[in-house]
Amino acid sequence: MFALLKLIQSLFGALHSEGTPGQLAAGIVLGSFLGLTPLINIHNAVVFAALMLLNVSFAGGMLGWAIFLPIGFLLDPLFDWIGHSLLLAPSLRGMWTSLYNMPIMPLTNFNNTVVLGSLVFALLFAIPLFIALRWAVGRYRETVGARVRQSRFYKALTASKAYNVYRMFRP
Amino acid sequence: MTGPTPTARLKIFRWKAVGPLLVLLVIVVILWIIFADTIARHQTQSVGTELLGAKVEIRNLHLDVPHGKVLIHGLTIASPHEALRNLLQADELVADIDVVPLTEKKFIVNRIAANGLRFGTTRETDGRVAAKEGSDGIAARVMAETQDWAKQFQVPILQLATGKLSVDSLDPRRLSSIPAAEALAARADSSQRAWKGAFDSLRIGPTIDSASATLEKLKHARATDLATLNEARQAIERLKRAQNRVTTLERGVKTGVAGLQSGLAGLDSAKRRDYAFARSLLKLPSLEAPQIGAALFGQTAIKPFERVLYWAQLARRYMPPGLLPRAAPGPQRLRRAGEDVRFPKERALPAFLLRTAELSFLLKPNSNQPQRYAGRLSGLTSDPALYGRPTVAEASGPQFSAGGMMNHVRSIPVDTAGASIGGIPLPAFDVPGVGLRLDPGAGTTQLAFNLNGDTIHARFALRSSNVTWARDSAVTSSTIGNLIWQAASGITNLDLEARVSGALHNPGLAIRSNLDQVIASRLKAVLGEQVAAAEKQLRARVDSLVDDKVAPARAKATEVQTQAQAQIAQQRARIDELQKQLEQQLRNLTRGIRLP
Repeated sequence: MFALLKLIQSLFGALHSEGTPGQLAAGIVLGSFLGLTPLINIHNAVVFAALMLLNVSFAGGMLGWAIFLPIGFLLDPLFDWIGHSLLLAPSLRGMWTSLYNMPIMPLTNFNNTVVLGSLVFALLFAIPLFIALRWAVGRYRETVGARVRQSRFYKALTASKAYNVYRMFRP
Repeated sequence: MTGPTPTARLKIFRWKAVGPLLVLLVIVVILWIIFADTIARHQTQSVGTELLGAKVEIRNLHLDVPHGKVLIHGLTIASPHEALRNLLQADELVADIDVVPLTEKKFIVNRIAANGLRFGTTRETDGRVAAKEGSDGIAARVMAETQDWAKQFQVPILQLATGKLSVDSLDPRRLSSIPAAEALAARADSSQRAWKGAFDSLRIGPTIDSASATLEKLKHARATDLATLNEARQAIERLKRAQNRVTTLERGVKTGVAGLQSGLAGLDSAKRRDYAFARSLLKLPSLEAPQIGAALFGQTAIKPFERVLYWAQLARRYMPPGLLPRAAPGPQRLRRAGEDVRFPKERALPAFLLRTAELSFLLKPNSNQPQRYAGRLSGLTSDPALYGRPTVAEASGPQFSAGGMMNHVRSIPVDTAGASIGGIPLPAFDVPGVGLRLDPGAGTTQLAFNLNGDTIHARFALRSSNVTWARDSAVTSSTIGNLIWQAASGITNLDLEARVSGALHNPGLAIRSNLDQVIASRLKAVLGEQVAAAEKQLRARVDSLVDDKVAPARAKATEVQTQAQAQIAQQRARIDELQKQLEQQLRNLTRGIRLP
C-alpha cells in the first residue's frame, strides 16, 4: 500500500514539478532501462549514475523503474527470443566473439539472451517513449494540470512526508 | 525594438549529485570488502552444486585478489549417487589465479594445492541434487540419462515362486505372438488381394486364347499363306511380352514372399519372447552359470560403470570439443534466467582453465600407519580446443594407482580412466532377491573405462580372499537363498569380473565369477527337474493361448505364398508351351523357304 502511495506521489510530484516535460520524459526513459532489463548488471549502474548526474527528473526515473519493472517480467520471453536470435545469428558471430574476448565486456553479461534482448528492446523503445512522454506531459500540464494542482487530493498527497523526500531530487 | 526574451540555459549536469554518488560508491566498495568472501563462498557453493549435481559446501573462503590467491578451508563435495556419503573432503585448497583474465570473465587457475583430501566419508544429510526428482539442469539431465542407461541391462533375478507353479495369471494381451500373428494374417490377406489384382491386370487369358486360335489356323495353313504366318509371328511377340509381364509380377511376388517369410520368422521369435515372458512370471531361476553370475552381481557391477559414465558425460557437456558458440542456462534470478552464450575464440584464453592441481591425501587416517597418497591433475578446461591438450589425471600410493585422460580436443571425444586399489575394505552389498549379503572384505578392485565417441568398453574386477556371507534378517529366507547359502557360504574367495562393451545406446554386459559354476551346479542338482517340468508347463500354456491365432496365420501365409508361386509357374508354363508350339509350327511350315 505504501509502495502504491509512493508511486502515486511520485507520479503527481513529477507531473507537477518545475522540470520541463523533456526532463521528466528523459527520467522515465532512463528508469525504464532499470525496469526492463535485469537489475544487477553493469549497464544499470551506468544508467543509475546518469539518472543522478544528468539534470533529468530523478522521480521520473524511479517512476519509470516502478512502471516498467512488471512489464519487464512480462516481456522476458520476448527478450529471451530477441537475445537468442541476435546472439546466435551467424552474421553477428564475429562481432559477439570479439566482444566476448575483450576486457570488461563479458562482465556486462551481454552474452545472456535476456540481458541483451531487454537492453536492445529498451534502447529501441527509448526514443518513441521519450517523444510520447514529452508530448503527453506537455498536454497534461496545458489541460488539466492546473485543476489537479488545486484539488484536495493533490494537496493531501503533497502534504505527506514522502513528498519531501522526493523534493530533494526534483530537477 | 526589442529582441526575443533570452531563455535560461538548461543545465545538463546535476553537479550536486556527485557527492551522494561518490558516497554510494564508497559504500559499495566497503560492502564489497566486507562481504566479498561471503559472496564468493556462496557463489562457489551454488555454482559447484549446479555443476556437479551434488551439494558443495565450503566452511571458509578468502579472496586475495591483489596477490591472485584463493584460499578455501573445509571443502566438502557430496556424492551425487549416495545419499549420506561425500565424494570428497579437503582440509585446505590454495589456488593461484591470474587476475587480468578476470576482467574478461575468464577464470584461469595456474595451480591448486589440495591438502588433507578424504574420500567416501559419511555425512549427516542427503547431499544429492541431480538425482532428486524435479531437479533441473545439466547435471540432472545427465544423471537421468545414465540412470536410464543402467536400467537397460536385463539383469536376471534369482528367485522362485512359492507354492504351486502356475501360469494362470498369464494375460494373453501381453503376449507378443498374438499381435504378430494378426499382423502376419493381415499381411497375407493384403498380399493375396494385391497379387490377384496383378494377375487379373496381366490379361494373360486373352493372349493365350488368341495365340491358341492362331496356332489352330497355322496347323491348317500353307507355307504361302503369308497373312497367317505374320499373324503367328505377332502372336509369338505377344506371348513374349506376356512372359515379361509374368516375370515382372514374379519379382514382386518374390519380394512379398520374402516379407511373409520374415513375418513367419518374426512369429517364431515372438513366441520365444512369450516363453521368456511367461518364464519371468513364474520366477524360475536360470540354471546356466553366466546367468547366475549376472543375477548375483549384476546390480553391483553396473553401478561403477554408471557412475564413471555420469562423470564422463558431465565432462563432455562442460568441456565440449570445437569452437562453435555454446548456449548454457543462465544464472538463476527472479527474472527469467535465459541462456548464456559463450563465444570461444582461437588463440584466446578459455573461460575456465586449471593448469595444474597437486593433491595429497591420506587413507586410513586414524590408523597407526596412515597411508599417504599423491595425485596430479592438469589441463582441466572448459574449452579443450583452445587449450589444445587433453586433461590428464594421475594418482598413486601404496596398493593404489589411478589415471585418466579426457581428450576433447578433436571432434570425437575420447575419455579413458583406469584405477586399481588394494587393501581397502570394500563395501558389502546385497544379493538381490535372496536375502543374502556379501561382504568382500579387504580386496582389490580394478576399473578400466574407455568411451570413444559413443562406443564404450569398460571392465570392473573385484578380487578378495576374505569374503564373508551373511543372511539378511529383514528378508524371509527363500529356497533359492538357502541353496546359495549352502553352496557359497563356505567359499571365502571371490573373483568377479564384469565387462560392458558396444555402442552406448545398446551395450552388452557380461559378468562372470568363480561362484557361478558352484551355484549353478547346486541349483541344477536340486531344482533341475522342477524347473524343466515348470518350463514344459508354461510352454504348453503359452501355446494354448497363442496357437489359435498363430497356426491359422502361419497356414494362411504359407498358402498365399504357395498359391501365388503355383499360379505364376502355371501361367509361365502355359505361355512357354504355346510359344514353343507356335514356333515349331512356324518352322515346319517355312522349312526350306527363304522368307522375305
